[in-house]
Amino acid sequence: MPVRPKNRPTRVGARGLLAAIITGGLVVIALWWHGSPGVHGLGGWLTGAGEILGLLCGYGVVVLVALMARLPPLERGLGTDRLARWHAMGGRYVVSLVVAHGLLIVWGYAVTAHTSVVSESATLLTQYPDVLMATVAGVLLLGVGIVSMRAARRRVRYETWYFLHLYTYLAIALAFSHQLAVGASFVGNLAARFWWSAMYVTVLVLVLWYRVAVPLRSYRRHRFEVLGVKAEAPGVISVYIGGTRLDELDAEPGQFFRWRFLTRSLWWSSHPFSLSAAPGSDVLRITVKNLGDHSQALARLQPGTRVFAEGPYGAFTPADSDRGVLLLAGGVGITPLRAIFAALPGQVTLIYRASSERDIVFRDELDAIAAARGGCVHYLVGSRDEIGGDPLSPRVLRSLVPDLDEQDAYVCGPAGMTSAAVRALRDAGVPRQRIHFESFEF
Amino acid sequence: MRRVILAVTGTIAGLVALLSFKSHVPSVPVAATTGGSGGSSSSSSSSSSSGGQTTTVPGEFPQGSLAGQLPAGETAVDGKAADTAYGPVQIQLIERNTKIVKVAVLVQPANTLHDIQIGAFAFPKLISETLAAQNAKIDAVSGASYTSAGYIASLQSALDQSA
Repeated sequence: MPVRPKNRPTRVGARGLLAAIITGGLVVIALWWHGSPGVHGLGGWLTGAGEILGLLCGYGVVVLVALMARLPPLERGLGTDRLARWHAMGGRYVVSLVVAHGLLIVWGYAVTAHTSVVSESATLLTQYPDVLMATVAGVLLLGVGIVSMRAARRRVRYETWYFLHLYTYLAIALAFSHQLAVGASFVGNLAARFWWSAMYVTVLVLVLWYRVAVPLRSYRRHRFEVLGVKAEAPGVISVYIGGTRLDELDAEPGQFFRWRFLTRSLWWSSHPFSLSAAPGSDVLRITVKNLGDHSQALARLQPGTRVFAEGPYGAFTPADSDRGVLLLAGGVGITPLRAIFAALPGQVTLIYRASSERDIVFRDELDAIAAARGGCVHYLVGSRDEIGGDPLSPRVLRSLVPDLDEQDAYVCGPAGMTSAAVRALRDAGVPRQRIHFESFEF
Repeated sequence: MRRVILAVTGTIAGLVALLSFKSHVPSVPVAATTGGSGGSSSSSSSSSSSGGQTTTVPGEFPQGSLAGQLPAGETAVDGKAADTAYGPVQIQLIERNTKIVKVAVLVQPANTLHDIQIGAFAFPKLISETLAAQNAKIDAVSGASYTSAGYIASLQSALDQSA
């Protein structure tokens, strides 16, 4: 049996989280309902819609921050990649609501006050308390939203995207005071102001705790440092990281850490990399494909370099089950699966898709593990044309793994490969809840 | 793309549903008077207002009691403070020989700038309507239904006292 950490955090699943978010949204709408005397005329409709959207924005940013607060139940329950997708999706939605909120309030106030939209905008900006700050916040959020969409299309560097994202904290702080000062649901409602503030403070504390305090404590306790760097394949390197009392981290195969290497050129950004071997009590290994400036610099790491590591994160860990297991790796997505492959008991098949022989990482290790534990490794190498058709079709999968629909499947690879593989597995008859996947682009 | 359409239509449908439910709340709010101490006051009496603090806000209409500065022959009558969802409204009538010559606003909703903005355009209209009609059968100002209802209720109570 693989070593199961004793104190695994409780997990919150997608449904539970969604239900919690929706319940919160309904409470927010009830707050508006309670505080609003009634809606009359065009101005009333516009202002009312603007108020509801404003409240939802104020609530939405809190949810978005909480999704990224590295809360263990969410990290273990949904997985970081899914949380990031929810965050991105929710972020687009909330930014749209922010824009709509601003426009509707200006328009609605202008209609009720019988002034033009332009002069009402001026009044709002200059005379309403804190509205100017909130407008700056709205512009910041919109800017971050646009940059994130460009980052998703890889037109912006990861680091640029990361640092611009820090402005969202500033935006949230700037927007907060206008909510209580002019928000119709809060003026004259002390209890609402109290609970609203409590919600913000709670999330702030969670962020500071899980994103700052816990990693700092872990850094002091485990004293991570680089032991060495090894070339695995062209453009692929492994970094060995040592430390003390690493077993107390309760890391499992398939999980990852966010690594910050404390050298002059790398200290200011952290990057997620999966463990590529089962975590030991004094050494961890990550394996990195050369994807950008950052991963290139990793090849030059010197032994003894101190490392700041946040984690372990990720829900991509083997489930407790007696069924056989199929592992499906694409390219450098082999890294977490390599660790799972070595740790899992029972019948295991590994299918490893790579575009060429040279790109196969860990061939010797994988063959050795397969021989030692009695598992099966299939290499699907070459482009589609060379293989002659879809390498991951349901038919191919069935021929490699005859009892496919009796198995748990774990897929890790680039986004396109992952979704194609999940589709093929579904078509081959594997139930959805037995397909686990992680996409490493986030 | 399907998600975007779903999110947009879902949000709009939810908003419209919420707002249309809210728009069925009767437009005339609670005009019940708050145990106000309204009553005829001679030009010498103090002009304490009831049910809320007197706030003077920007706006071109008389605010605060005029009782202390009336020429001979004019009397001030304070209406009762009428509660609205946004706060109480209380007015003061200035009469000469049972004719309304002026209306002053003693108490008005001023919790937010928005309240003040609404008052600033609604009260002058309500006052000029009152002077023209010489009674409380005046139209509410659109976009200020609550303020109008409070004004009319307070005006009616002042007229009842002076009658």
